[in-house]
Amino acid sequence: MNIKNIAIVLTVLLVAIAAMLLMQKGNYVDQATEHYNKTTQNTFKATSKIVEYVGNSIDVNKMVWALACEGIQTAKSSQDMAKLEAKYFPATKGSNSKVKMTRHFEASTFYFIDSKFDKVDTDKKTDVWFLNNLSSIDVSALLGLVTPAATAPSEEEEEYEE
Amino acid sequence: MDNKKFKILAIVDAVIIVALIVLMMVLKGNYNDQAQASVKEQVGAFQESANGVLQELWKSVDQNGMAWKLVYATITGDKTEKSFNAAVKAIEGDQAARFKQLSYVFTAAGIPPKVQNDINEKGGLADKFLLKDEGGVKEVACGKNCSISFTFAKGKLKATDYKALVELNMASNFKLEAPAEFHFE
Repeated sequence: MNIKNIAIVLTVLLVAIAAMLLMQKGNYVDQATEHYNKTTQNTFKATSKIVEYVGNSIDVNKMVWALACEGIQTAKSSQDMAKLEAKYFPATKGSNSKVKMTRHFEASTFYFIDSKFDKVDTDKKTDVWFLNNLSSIDVSALLGLVTPAATAPSEEEEEYEE
Repeated sequence: MDNKKFKILAIVDAVIIVALIVLMMVLKGNYNDQAQASVKEQVGAFQESANGVLQELWKSVDQNGMAWKLVYATITGDKTEKSFNAAVKAIEGDQAARFKQLSYVFTAAGIPPKVQNDINEKGGLADKFLLKDEGGVKEVACGKNCSISFTFAKGKLKATDYKALVELNMASNFKLEAPAEFHFE
């Protein structure tokens, strides 16, 4: 190869290296941007999901609290409680236990209340029994004092759906 | 061009090529450091704002739980101002019970205990509960942008207004801004 060819090859190489040098920064910017977008999007999604899920949890929690607060102030019988349940949770019904004289209302496996009554009465018109004289409402689940799985009513329990 | 000129051109090319390669190696290290520092700083800033939202949410749910507990204790208690004041102190002072109640809400939302502990360790529980106590009117915090009131006259409960608790939309108070565009600095 004569000197002319060498000079031409070197000139081409010089142009190529100069071009690579100019593109070098762009490559780092692209890589950094990609890493930044990926990391921050993951954080953004995870945080937004936590906010959304906790918001949903609070939405159920507050309605069960509202039910318990209104129930303890205004309800006397399991029928009254059933009406309040329908007001706050139209799609969910509670169940009575004649033996325990309690009414269990479960909005979700985590959020439920148990209303305690003093006696069992019978409706003279319909001849259906109901619980009367509400004495207290157990809000342990709303205070985080229970383990959800352990509190589901057992199948042996006597239940009556109103 | 004669051979002599080509020779000079080849030598100049070779010198510039070596210089450019050296420059490229130096810049490579600089760009790498710059990119890492920029990413670390900007990702850190975004994570900090995300953590801030979660810590504020945590405190808010804490206040919310305390407020409901206070409402229930007040309406089922003897309805005296003395009992109310004692209940406020007892509820606010029992940090273990507060953690349990608020953690339960997060667990019900499917948030793992590790994440909960992390938020709690960084931000802690709410530091405000009783917001106002003037002339028998007590205002209590029930979360971000949420307060409820109890009115007492001659030491007896006259009115309880906890409508804000029932109407609260917790999630709407906590919106994390989408990450800003990356700047290579």
